[in-house]
Amino acid sequence: MKLLVVEDEPSLLQSILDYFTQEDFLCEGAATYNSAITKIDSFDYDCIILDINLPDGNGLQLLQYLRQYKKQEGVVIISARDSLDDKIKGLDIGADDYLTKPFHLSELNARIKALIRRKYTHGVDILEAGNLRLDLSSRTVNCATQPLSLTKNEYDLLVYLLNNSNRVVSKQAIAEHIYGEQADNMPSFDFVYSQIKNLKRKLKEKGCDDLVQTVYGLGYKLSL
Amino acid sequence: MNETLLQKNTRVLLIWLPVVLLACSILFYVLMRMQAHHMQLKQLLLKQDNTWDAFLQKNGNIGKNITGEYQISEPGAIIKWDKPDELKDTVIYYPAKKKSLPFQMLTRRYEWQNKGYAVTTFVSSTEISHLIIKVFLTEAGILILLLIAIVILNRKNADALWRPFFSSMQQANEYDITTNQSLSLPAETGIAEFNELNLTLTRLTSNAHDAYDRQKQFVENASHEMQTPLAIIRSKLELLINQPNLTEKAAALLGDITEANDRLSQMNRTLLLLAKIENNQFPAVEPVNVSEMLQQLVNNFKNHYEEFPAITTTIDEGVMVHANPSLIEILLTNLTKNAIVHNVPGGKIIISLTAVGLIIKNTGLPTAASPNELFERFKKGSHQSKTTGLGLALVKQICSLYKYTVSYQFSEGWHTVSVNL
Repeated sequence: MKLLVVEDEPSLLQSILDYFTQEDFLCEGAATYNSAITKIDSFDYDCIILDINLPDGNGLQLLQYLRQYKKQEGVVIISARDSLDDKIKGLDIGADDYLTKPFHLSELNARIKALIRRKYTHGVDILEAGNLRLDLSSRTVNCATQPLSLTKNEYDLLVYLLNNSNRVVSKQAIAEHIYGEQADNMPSFDFVYSQIKNLKRKLKEKGCDDLVQTVYGLGYKLSL
Repeated sequence: MNETLLQKNTRVLLIWLPVVLLACSILFYVLMRMQAHHMQLKQLLLKQDNTWDAFLQKNGNIGKNITGEYQISEPGAIIKWDKPDELKDTVIYYPAKKKSLPFQMLTRRYEWQNKGYAVTTFVSSTEISHLIIKVFLTEAGILILLLIAIVILNRKNADALWRPFFSSMQQANEYDITTNQSLSLPAETGIAEFNELNLTLTRLTSNAHDAYDRQKQFVENASHEMQTPLAIIRSKLELLINQPNLTEKAAALLGDITEANDRLSQMNRTLLLLAKIENNQFPAVEPVNVSEMLQQLVNNFKNHYEEFPAITTTIDEGVMVHANPSLIEILLTNLTKNAIVHNVPGGKIIISLTAVGLIIKNTGLPTAASPNELFERFKKGSHQSKTTGLGLALVKQICSLYKYTVSYQFSEGWHTVSVNL
């Protein structure tokens, strides 16, 4: 999968590139509007991560340019501007998703994976880890062919961990993923702990032991 | 005690005008008495001359005494009198009327055919004193009318004079720095002082508004600018926690940094949200079913917490407001969350929602801050490090946006927050 990251902040750009390289993406970065245009003209990408504020232009213009030339890259906008207007404008022009800074890389990863699945793997919406099988279209989970009944939160949590498999995902990232902006209002992340606990118990009951591990006090990890 | 300008003015007038008028009346009375005295003297002198002339013409053959008019004494020795003619009060008895009446009399000595005569003439004092009393009473009446007229005129005039002032005052009173640009007061009121007052007020409010705007802008800009470094820190931390061979000690450090950084991000986001509400960037309003939203929210919270306080909810159905749903959700969430967070182990929460408003009560420890300060930014009632101190500021901001009134009180171990919708 080829990924273009357009972000003017070099440090953040590097972080995103690092993260997605580890996820086996073929990544390229562009820090300016013009260099992004050159790259888009020369290569085809599967997915573009796009910052709105660029030193020599606007990410939304770049998006317009893309859609004008009928390029079908999936686009996820990342922006510090979290006003609803920008969000609606971006989605109107043809962005596939919108993420507000500061975001968790694991969240960005989950969004990109979901986007790629929607765009490129028609009909095959299945995530697998060991003998765990999760069907996104029917929202069912099987563990060694035994059906697993999960609450909505537990299901979302499992999908998130599967998308970020083999990575440590922080409690905060999980909280924000499941509760969105509501997570801001949580005084503690104890509820993440209890969700994980329940999920682990259910997985264990069906024989998917040790799929989800706790990593020190940092977060959780789904290992394959 | 303070009085209004009009009251004070009227009071001063009512105290001093009568004093002045009384003094004037006394002066008037004294002067009038003097004039009357003088007039009587002249009359008596004239009568003297007339009587003596008549006496000489008739060679002494006139009546010696006419009561109330004159009296000529029997001829006697010539008495030279050093003293001038003297005016005296006397009383003459009128048998017909059976009354003694006051008179003034003047006695003068004359010489005729080597004999001394004393001629005394009389003039009635009754008429003149009646006249004096009547004139004085009339004058007093006029002065009282004058007093009333002055006070009324003064009040009416002051009312008209101060009208621009009171209209400016009212506008200044209603001025809300968060919503109004600046005061628009008339530059021409017809009174130079008030023109200047209006000009000053307008300038003052526009300066205040500018400062307020700059402050708002600063908060928004600062929050915006902080987002990028925060995003960088967060991304680097995520990369770092995925490093292989992380020791437990390093992981603990990273965990603390992550948590602190997330709190910073959260604070920053809330500040930005506050700035946006202040800048009225949530114009989209729609009917919001508060009852449903609150019920759902409480249920969510119950799922999130392991140890949820005992909660009693009485939620009237179909309570609607016209507002931005996100903001109402933030309002309800913050208040409910506070009731949970600032509770005591084994505590209670009572939530009641009616068409009038929302009341959230919870058990808890007394707050360190005063009730009014609690709604200020970064004011915390407790030293819980995990709260941002912005939750109630947000509540206040949302309430003031939609003109809801919010109040807080603490009594007998219960915190009560009421919002009148």
